[in-house]
Amino acid sequence: MAQDPRVTRMEDLPGPKSKGEMDEFKMPYEEYCKKLFDVGNEHTKPKPLNGIRWLSCTMYIFTPHAVANLAELGAEVIKLEIPRMGEPMRHTSPFNEVYLYPFHDMRPMTGTGLGYTNANPNKYFVTMDYHIPEMREVFYSLVKKSDGLTELYRPGTLDKWKMSYRYLSEINPRFIYVWGGGFGYGPKVFGGSYDILGQAHAGLASITGMHEYMGGHCSKCTNWVIDWQSGNLISCSIMAAIHHRRKTGLGTMIEFSQVQVPTRMLGHTTTMYGKFGIVRQRWGNWDTQLAAHGIILCGKSDFPDAENPQDKFDARYVMVSAFQDQDFKELCAITGLKELYEKYKAHKDRVEGEAQVEIYTGLERWAADKSRSQVAKILSDAGLLAEPVRNDREVYESPHYRERGTVRWMDDPLFGDLVVHGGYSTGLMEKSPRRINWHWRPLGADNKKIYRDLLGVPLTKIEEWYKKAYI
Amino acid sequence: MPEKRDIEIKSRADTIGLMDLDVRPYPVTPPPSYEEVKPIYERRKALEFCDWAEDSLRFEKRYTKDEALTGYRILDIGLWRLGHKFCASLYGEAGAEVVSIEPPKGDPLRKLTPFGREEYLLQNKESGEKCGMEFVNETVNTHCVTLDVETEEGQEIFKRMAMNVDVLIDGMPPGYMDNLGIGYRQLKEANPRMVYVWIGMLGQWGPWKDKQSKFGQWMIEPFASAANSWIHNTGLAQDLLPRGKGGDPTRAGIWLADYVAGAQSFLNSIAALYWRDELGGTGQMIEVTGAEALMDILDFDITWYGFNSSIKARTGGWDACLNQYAWNPCKDGYMMIGGQTDKLWYNIGFCLERDVPQFGRLIHEDPLLKEMAARNALHALIKTYTLTTRWLRDTNRVEAETKLLEYQVAAGPVLYIDEVCEFPHFKYRPWVYVHETDYGPLLIASSPASYQVRAPFRCKWMGRDIGYDNYEIYLKWTGMGQTAVNAMKQKGVI
Repeated sequence: MAQDPRVTRMEDLPGPKSKGEMDEFKMPYEEYCKKLFDVGNEHTKPKPLNGIRWLSCTMYIFTPHAVANLAELGAEVIKLEIPRMGEPMRHTSPFNEVYLYPFHDMRPMTGTGLGYTNANPNKYFVTMDYHIPEMREVFYSLVKKSDGLTELYRPGTLDKWKMSYRYLSEINPRFIYVWGGGFGYGPKVFGGSYDILGQAHAGLASITGMHEYMGGHCSKCTNWVIDWQSGNLISCSIMAAIHHRRKTGLGTMIEFSQVQVPTRMLGHTTTMYGKFGIVRQRWGNWDTQLAAHGIILCGKSDFPDAENPQDKFDARYVMVSAFQDQDFKELCAITGLKELYEKYKAHKDRVEGEAQVEIYTGLERWAADKSRSQVAKILSDAGLLAEPVRNDREVYESPHYRERGTVRWMDDPLFGDLVVHGGYSTGLMEKSPRRINWHWRPLGADNKKIYRDLLGVPLTKIEEWYKKAYI
Repeated sequence: MPEKRDIEIKSRADTIGLMDLDVRPYPVTPPPSYEEVKPIYERRKALEFCDWAEDSLRFEKRYTKDEALTGYRILDIGLWRLGHKFCASLYGEAGAEVVSIEPPKGDPLRKLTPFGREEYLLQNKESGEKCGMEFVNETVNTHCVTLDVETEEGQEIFKRMAMNVDVLIDGMPPGYMDNLGIGYRQLKEANPRMVYVWIGMLGQWGPWKDKQSKFGQWMIEPFASAANSWIHNTGLAQDLLPRGKGGDPTRAGIWLADYVAGAQSFLNSIAALYWRDELGGTGQMIEVTGAEALMDILDFDITWYGFNSSIKARTGGWDACLNQYAWNPCKDGYMMIGGQTDKLWYNIGFCLERDVPQFGRLIHEDPLLKEMAARNALHALIKTYTLTTRWLRDTNRVEAETKLLEYQVAAGPVLYIDEVCEFPHFKYRPWVYVHETDYGPLLIASSPASYQVRAPFRCKWMGRDIGYDNYEIYLKWTGMGQTAVNAMKQKGVI
């Protein structure tokens, strides 16, 4: 406000202040969003977690991803791996087919498998054998310089080595210590865990897949969803702990069990069992609470002449959704199922199990002489919602993801051109976006950078450790 | 225990009320006691540490500890979907003050119930109002307020509420808020410190952006999972089961992309809050979509396509990257077995060999099986699982688990929700427990972030009647007294 209240100044009035702002207000909303997120220039903007340093004694996907989120958000992450071997995920690749070389200067003929993707971008890769007392001292000096640590060893293991929260919080009271694993304290405390165990144990598998009466089995979400999503939720917990530390100045320990995560995401399943004793079953590609809202099989493939069998045989599925009364009426009119509309005018009637079987059977009969894109087009042209079920090629070629920068080619400093579909896709941020600097690096690639440049260890010492396989 | 009585079941309606928690208490068998767990801790000489962990992390102590995000104000507006609700619930569980805005008629999600069965709606014990179980489960610690933002007065009230919020979660269709003059573009001047998060299915801009039908129906999951090859990749392959009878691409049983987008929205926005408070000083706009958040966790699939044009196919309960790492049918269900490193893989072999001696011969004859990475070749997977399934065929879940655990292999059966709830470890932690809500005691899943030394996440309440917090929140957030709120109610604005 101006000093003198009688003076009216432009900047005190509501509304746009300049021509630029005026244009911004007049811009169509889509264009405005596009301008706001300014895809492709992420690296010219500040990093949201600038200044946070995180240690990572992690393997596989779950805990590395918990830290990768921080690394994408701009934290400096130091990943400690076992000398020579590295973590198991480096040796993991689909059908043992896809590797990026080299693995390590000791093993130039070995590569790191593609399984390592997306859980490890932007990290600094250091090797350390912390069984060795000398190296443990080095570990402590890293702890003093860091904000936190994520680890996944069986409970008590790091405590035995005097590297647990009890010890580290003495060294650095601001330290945030995260254990991520399968079970945590309790009868299965030492039980090992994987994504697939989480899917199996916690109820997700029991409600995913075609119903027994449709001939189906429990189906695994192919992608390691519980590893990844548990990683996301750890990152969420870490950020909450960082905020809490801003108030109190104190670190904490977070014990996070992935086997519990699917149960939290089952919606009404647990409550329905508790209150009504009903054990929820699989319901295939349909929805238990909405109809029509499901995936149907079309008679013809979109790409009958394609070479790849995934295109040739599987481009046949469409997601169709018309659960509101008017939509359903229109759907029935288009597909010649008017009698079904008459029969199931109310949503509560058409969402009943028997009605759903009848509706989707009718829709698939209608689609039997059509291809996937024909079905999608007919319904979309009529103003209804229908989208093809896309495969990896279509995602790669999608103009949508390309324009939004969520699928893009990057020039990796070591591996050259690579397609990236992680990191940027977690969300567009206007002022402090996520970014990918590098896909990953070979085992121990940053030993010198961390041991000498950060900790001041002389090069001869580093070499000595290296020869002894301490690092 | 309640008295035994004779019942006659003629229709499904007669079963309602027969299974509620006051009739059939949970759990059916008591959880393991500390005395039973203690020897397990001792077995690895970790008793002292585990005692410390129990003492410091126990779920039961969550309410006695501090909350992480006290003081932050979160405003959430959205319908139908779970993404914005899951994000708002995470803020609520972490201690922020969260207000969810619904139109005066309420979120249509409140009416959804499995197979349309109204007898499975939950009923508020005091008011008698009914609400669907999904809505109740996914609105944790949020205040429920009604407001019709399509009216001019509603927009004015919304603007005043948005003046003081730290995060605004927008779960409406693309451009909806902007059109009403209450989007990021119009609000950021009044509240430059606000972090604005839009959560949707595919995007608020771009060629495949979120659509509505001509009658205004929204896109709801699994549209997001269908758009990023998640569904294409999931399910049994056609050569394992016939197409149309289980050998098809398969959606997850839950609205999966919503949960992933909700988590990423929380993470990105809380990181933006950190940046605002520590570094940048201002708020910003964030856009998270289910399709892309799920694509972030699509393993390496699109990178793989860029590498050699591979399009990932369905592999059912198997995994193309890890051997062993699968579930296969067994005598009484499905058994999951995992062990990739040499130590664990051979341990599985030693265990199976006791009953199926061929396993040792198999390894002996095929050198590719001896090396961790080489074992992932397709033929090696087929060989391994053929013999494993041969063993499982005559073994039930309990036997298989008992035998494999002797060899310290991560193994476990596929469990249904009744088995999940009675799983000893679940009961001990507890990961499912009975929570007193407005709808009476409900069995719910606890938050996985509840196990912390200082500021654990927690559920305090879940679900609320439509507009339950109107008076309190409008008074605190906008200074409107009850007369003003009542006047707005009369007009249908609140």
